[in-house]
Amino acid sequence: MIQTIRDIFRVIRHPGDLFSISAADPYKSLKIRVVLLDAILSLLPLVIVVTISYFWFQSILKEDYRSQIKWQIENTKQSLDFFIEERVSGLRFIASTFTYEQLSDRKTLANVFLKFKREVSGLVDLGVIDSNGIQQAYVGPYKLEGKDYSNHDWFDEVTVRNVYVSDVFMGYRKLPHFAIAVKRELPEQGTFWILRATIDVETLSKFASAMNLGAEDDAFLINKEGVIQTPSQFHGNVLGKLTFPLPGSQQGVTVHEITESPHHECTICGYAELKNSPWILVAMIQSAPYLKIPRIFKNELLFIIIISTIIGIIVVTRIANTLVNRIQEAEKEREDAIAQSEHASKLASVGRLASGVAHEINNPLAIINEKAGLIKDILEVSEDPSKNREKFLGLINSIFDSVSRCRTITHRLLGFSRRMDTAHELFDMNDAIREVLGFLEKEIMFRNIRLELVLAEDLPRLMSDKGQIQQVLLNIFNNALDALLEGKEGAITITTDSKDQKIRVSVSDNGHGIPKDKLKKIFEPFYSTKEKGKGTGLGLFISYGIIKKLGGNILVESEATKGTKFTIEIPTTSTSQ
Amino acid sequence: MTRTKVLLVDDEVEFASALAERLQMRNYEVRTASNGLEAMALFHEMPPDVVLLDLKIPGMDGLEILSNIKKFDPSIEVLMLTGHGDVASVQKGMQSGALEYMMKPIDIDELTSKIDRARRKRERG
Repeated sequence: MIQTIRDIFRVIRHPGDLFSISAADPYKSLKIRVVLLDAILSLLPLVIVVTISYFWFQSILKEDYRSQIKWQIENTKQSLDFFIEERVSGLRFIASTFTYEQLSDRKTLANVFLKFKREVSGLVDLGVIDSNGIQQAYVGPYKLEGKDYSNHDWFDEVTVRNVYVSDVFMGYRKLPHFAIAVKRELPEQGTFWILRATIDVETLSKFASAMNLGAEDDAFLINKEGVIQTPSQFHGNVLGKLTFPLPGSQQGVTVHEITESPHHECTICGYAELKNSPWILVAMIQSAPYLKIPRIFKNELLFIIIISTIIGIIVVTRIANTLVNRIQEAEKEREDAIAQSEHASKLASVGRLASGVAHEINNPLAIINEKAGLIKDILEVSEDPSKNREKFLGLINSIFDSVSRCRTITHRLLGFSRRMDTAHELFDMNDAIREVLGFLEKEIMFRNIRLELVLAEDLPRLMSDKGQIQQVLLNIFNNALDALLEGKEGAITITTDSKDQKIRVSVSDNGHGIPKDKLKKIFEPFYSTKEKGKGTGLGLFISYGIIKKLGGNILVESEATKGTKFTIEIPTTSTSQ
Repeated sequence: MTRTKVLLVDDEVEFASALAERLQMRNYEVRTASNGLEAMALFHEMPPDVVLLDLKIPGMDGLEILSNIKKFDPSIEVLMLTGHGDVASVQKGMQSGALEYMMKPIDIDELTSKIDRARRKRERG
């Protein structure tokens, strides 16, 4: 088994070796093929299932993580919305509770500022601005009383929209701030005034950092022009420009992946527009924990696959070994059985030959017997044997004729049996056919069979195994004789011709023929259509083997009840294997 | 007792003529035929007591001649001669009414005793 596994790896490394192995040992290559095929069959589904479930698991994790991010962004966005809303409401409340005159008084304003600052964090300063844009009163760290805001954009905005939340800007102390302004209408006087508060950005950024994010992640605010509003870890300073564009803003939270981020291979980017302020909350997630979980999962899967593969290959190799060994044994048994039955068939054909030859020899022996008996009879009754001299000579000549008849038969038989063993010789196919027919001519004559020989005159001589070819011819002629029906004039035609360095012998009869379903079986060993005990079922099987061994071919055409035609083709120079 | 009339049917003319002469020397009246038609013609001319019949004859088969003889006169006895160990034909011949069979080459004394036995059987009816 270890040997087999070693061979398999050798084949995998050098696929060309499969052919050299197959040439050397067909069972080994069969074994390797069985192992490889079985391994592919059993391991392929495993690999497919594992791969599919891996990607499926990854996509579920990813989806889950994305919705978690979305939910966090949504939460933070709402907190930020509320934070700004709270401050706007606070300013509105102050503006509607106090009159312009009350707040223009610096003392009252300072009082309100202190109380307001206690309630809401991050408040830096508070100012009252009249309808001309002049800051009438101010409480805060700077000297901004009397500052004219009428040229500022935000002043126009707030007069139109009543509430204004500014972008982040650098204050005089170089700290980022943003401003909230609310307008208070005075319809009786037909004028208005504005309450403006500045708020430290740090309070805003606390919300972003409150998001439950990893060390490589980043959350910050930008304005609609992509200018960063709160400190970010990796994407630039406050008031810097965001390095990548965000796709058009949509309602609610958008989460998508940026595959070509400057920092990492894969970044999840989530963002949401705030409700009452000009900002967008952005979260950049690089830690992507879902990428780590599948790694553990992946290792486990890999482990399972390797274990299964090892078990699979061991099992498959064992199965292949057992299987191929069984086949090998069966093949050997079959070869032994065929070798034995080939011998049996040879004996059977010798038996048939013997009974034919016995008849051939018994007839001249009977003549000799009678002639000699007659001579003896005459000698016994006659007083003067010399009177019968002429008669005796005739009888003795007749005995010699019979003896030479016997000799012809025994010589033919000897020649035939001698050639059973000899290898290749140069011979004429027509002569070989006539010699074989010599054994059968009596039977052909007695059964009134019409034998037609269409033998090509210019047939080239061939170099082949004459004895074996004659054995095949005898078998085919015998089959033709056996196929002829009683009560119908039997006819056998033997044709020879040559073409393309091949000699072709066709033997056709008008016997019972072979049905189509049986035709393909006739060359199988132990298949016989003859009556039980008449045929061994090996004749054609052995003939087929002989002709193939001589590099030739044997063909059969047949139609039930019409007759059969066997054709053998033999190369004029065949090399025996 | 009249001489026993024997009809010998065999395609081997040499064999038939020699055997016929030997039987004649032993006081049998013998006629020979080398094929079925000849045999049937002689048969009508001079009905024999015993027929010696070779089973393998070209033309009309030995078994066919046998059945014709038995059709003509079932009391005529037939001895089959064969040079061939064809058991099936012999069995068929026995079934068709042949008395006995002999393998060639035959012993003349054995043959004459069988012919005599056949003649006696025919006489007894």
